[in-house]
Amino acid sequence: MDNWVIAMMLGASIFLGAIALFAFLWAIKNGQFDDEEKFLNAAKFDGEDELNDALNQERKKEELKKRYRPE
Amino acid sequence: MSNNIACTHCHLEFNESVMIKDGEHYFCCNGCQGVFHLLSDEGLDSFYEKAGNVKLTPPTSQYEDSSNFNAEAFYDKFVKINSDGFSEVSLIIEGIHCSACVWLNEKALHKMDGIIEANINFTNNKATIVWADNIVKLSQIIDMIRAIGYNAFPYDASIQEAHANKERKDYYLRMSVAIFASMNIMWIAVAQYAGYFSGMTQDMKTILNIAEGVLATPVLFYSGWIFFRGAYYGLKTKTVNMDILVATGASLTYIYSIYITIIEEGEAYFDSVSMIITFVLIGKFLEVLSKKNAADTLDIIGKNLPNEVKIVKDNSIISCKLGDVIIGDIVVVSSGEKVLLDGEITKGSGSFDESNLTGESEPIYKDLGGTVISGTVSIDADIHLRATKDFGHSTLSNLVQLLETAINKKPKIEQLANKLSEYFSSVVLALSFLTFFVWWLWPHDFEVSFMVGISVIVIACPCALALATPVATLVGLSLGAKRGILFKEAAQLETMAKVDTLVLDKTGTLTVGKPEVIKEHIYADFDRELLYSLVKLSNHPVALGIKEYITKGQENISDTIFDEFKQIPASGISVVHQRLEILGGNLKLMNDNHIEIDFKSDNTLFYFAINKKVFAIYELSDKVKDGAKDLVINLSKRGIETIMLTGDNERVAKKVSAEIGIKNLYYEQTPQDKSEFISTLHNSGKTVVMVGDGVNDILALARADIGIVMGSGSDIAIDVGDVVLLNDSLNSLEDAFKISRTTYGLIKQNLGISLVYNAITIPLAMAGFVIPLVAAISMSVSSLLVVGNSMRINLKWNKN
Repeated sequence: MDNWVIAMMLGASIFLGAIALFAFLWAIKNGQFDDEEKFLNAAKFDGEDELNDALNQERKKEELKKRYRPE
Repeated sequence: MSNNIACTHCHLEFNESVMIKDGEHYFCCNGCQGVFHLLSDEGLDSFYEKAGNVKLTPPTSQYEDSSNFNAEAFYDKFVKINSDGFSEVSLIIEGIHCSACVWLNEKALHKMDGIIEANINFTNNKATIVWADNIVKLSQIIDMIRAIGYNAFPYDASIQEAHANKERKDYYLRMSVAIFASMNIMWIAVAQYAGYFSGMTQDMKTILNIAEGVLATPVLFYSGWIFFRGAYYGLKTKTVNMDILVATGASLTYIYSIYITIIEEGEAYFDSVSMIITFVLIGKFLEVLSKKNAADTLDIIGKNLPNEVKIVKDNSIISCKLGDVIIGDIVVVSSGEKVLLDGEITKGSGSFDESNLTGESEPIYKDLGGTVISGTVSIDADIHLRATKDFGHSTLSNLVQLLETAINKKPKIEQLANKLSEYFSSVVLALSFLTFFVWWLWPHDFEVSFMVGISVIVIACPCALALATPVATLVGLSLGAKRGILFKEAAQLETMAKVDTLVLDKTGTLTVGKPEVIKEHIYADFDRELLYSLVKLSNHPVALGIKEYITKGQENISDTIFDEFKQIPASGISVVHQRLEILGGNLKLMNDNHIEIDFKSDNTLFYFAINKKVFAIYELSDKVKDGAKDLVINLSKRGIETIMLTGDNERVAKKVSAEIGIKNLYYEQTPQDKSEFISTLHNSGKTVVMVGDGVNDILALARADIGIVMGSGSDIAIDVGDVVLLNDSLNSLEDAFKISRTTYGLIKQNLGISLVYNAITIPLAMAGFVIPLVAAISMSVSSLLVVGNSMRINLKWNKN
């Protein structure tokens, strides 16, 4: 077996692992694990309505950010 | 019971006749009905589906006007402006029972105009709300929360608490990176060690080395940054700490390994780099995790103090800020309220509970002209009070200030591991340099000498040393938690093991804290229902004690409605029932009604008379808790001296101490006296545990090396204390001592193991016998030994 096969496999797997790690780090930073109870209950309240609400809220936030000029 | 119906909103069950019928729904009150309709109108009624059958608190409509939340002073204190220019506030939301409640609150707030973000933490009911202040005001937000049946009040999200959370999160991040990288390096290392024995081409080796190097880099510079920082501060204060050892060891090994990778010769040690950092980081994280969150301590005191009082001005009663009350103002205090200002009674009379301040278990009756101290609670008195001090100089605020100083003055006993690691680090560093020079001067190549020198640091890996204390204390904490003993900080286990003096409060700690009937003398037969209905009219502790005694074992006692009843302050109750004159109260009440009694006892007495004839006498006393006597005997066997401190009077104190067998006894102690007493003990070189439960103990609790609080104690005391006994039992107090000593023993064993281990391996490394594989394995083995030893104790305790 050529060395470069090993090298490529190592590189690819470390790269994939790193993506998962960064996703996890992002989730921690984003506060998704701050509240263990809510985190576990979130599965119960997960549906189309909730996704739409979240999107609306996000839009509202963006719009307010554009308009808002604090005195 | 059969025709009880659950309220559609709160799910509490009531008889059908008292419910409000509204279509097909039933409501227990207007509040629930209002919330239900609001939620239906807003399209939020899927809340009920989500909440299931969880019982909620019915909403009340009696809230103060919310407009004062918009006051400038209020905004100054609680509202922050975030980086986008939006306002942000931290609220505690009351009435959250289930995850659906969280959902409802967030949803309702999100629907409001101008709300950017509402995030509620279910675990601690704290909410962070961000809004645009020109669109919506804080008062409207709070009105909304109240409208859907909850209540909210702001709290000062103290910088410390936020800081502690941030630190924890920071460790999570660094640890995730370290563990991820280390696990991957291990796999690669397996290949390398296999190749070491079976032979491998140099090219392959280099590939593996590079892969390891890539993974080890973030571990050293990101996860390991904590150690570089620690080493820097250590150098600044000229102390050699463990961080220096870890930082130099890891970075030298890293540099050497890069060198090896480049020259394509020899063995790289990247696995050691990441393993040292990961292990020691885990040890540090365990320490951070079990650190007491001192931040909330002072916060809760402020929360318990209302910031407004009612004063009389121009013949009307108005609300006034606590700080604005000046000497001479007339303050209105209603029954059940806490007195916030010192003063003299100008109108009314009644009994006051001073146990907060003095520890006196019985209420004190005060009449016109009597002085009332701030911090006491009015039991049944509706009075007017002329303030004799402003709030800043009141007894209550003095107490808060004294508490702050007491918390700051708390002694810190240095931990064994910290002391040890300083010597350990210096010795290992010195040995490593010595080895390097000896090898170099005894002519060897620079590379070889350098590698041997480094191997000393690597093999003397501080992993086991770093894990020794945290793992042991974690075992101790979990042992305690299973027995209802809550240690707030891991380091306290070690401190507590060194304690030689135990100071106990009487009321609520050694005794149950409320009078119980210990003897009943019946002189003539009478209807128990009469007595029950009579004592039910009063909130006096004696009446409560009798009520409890009568209801014990009897479930259904019907209530008699009296024709007439009168409370006689500091005496008892007199009622008229079907032309019978019934009296219940103390000796004074009997004497005032010319009833002759010849009965003597040390205990508190309650007389029950019908038509001037005594039917029954009850003897009441504050009972000593089970196991109090054994506790004193067992602890003295362990060489711990027991002292009782009480605010109560001499007679009661002596009676209790005689019963328990405590010889050292101090009575009529004010909170300041208690705290002074602890200081005196400190000065004579004692390490002191203080056990208490009330506000009158908090100064002493804060000052003592360890403050232990009963779980039923006041909120402030629980917050100030270091250890909480959740089941109030004195047996768990003894357990707490046992656990702390076991843990301390464990710490010593673990430190011993890691030192002995190093004593064997360091000379081997200095002689140059250590190959990378041995170094890596020995690191894991020493850590496993320490963890295994701790688990052994855990198993042994759990068997008992």
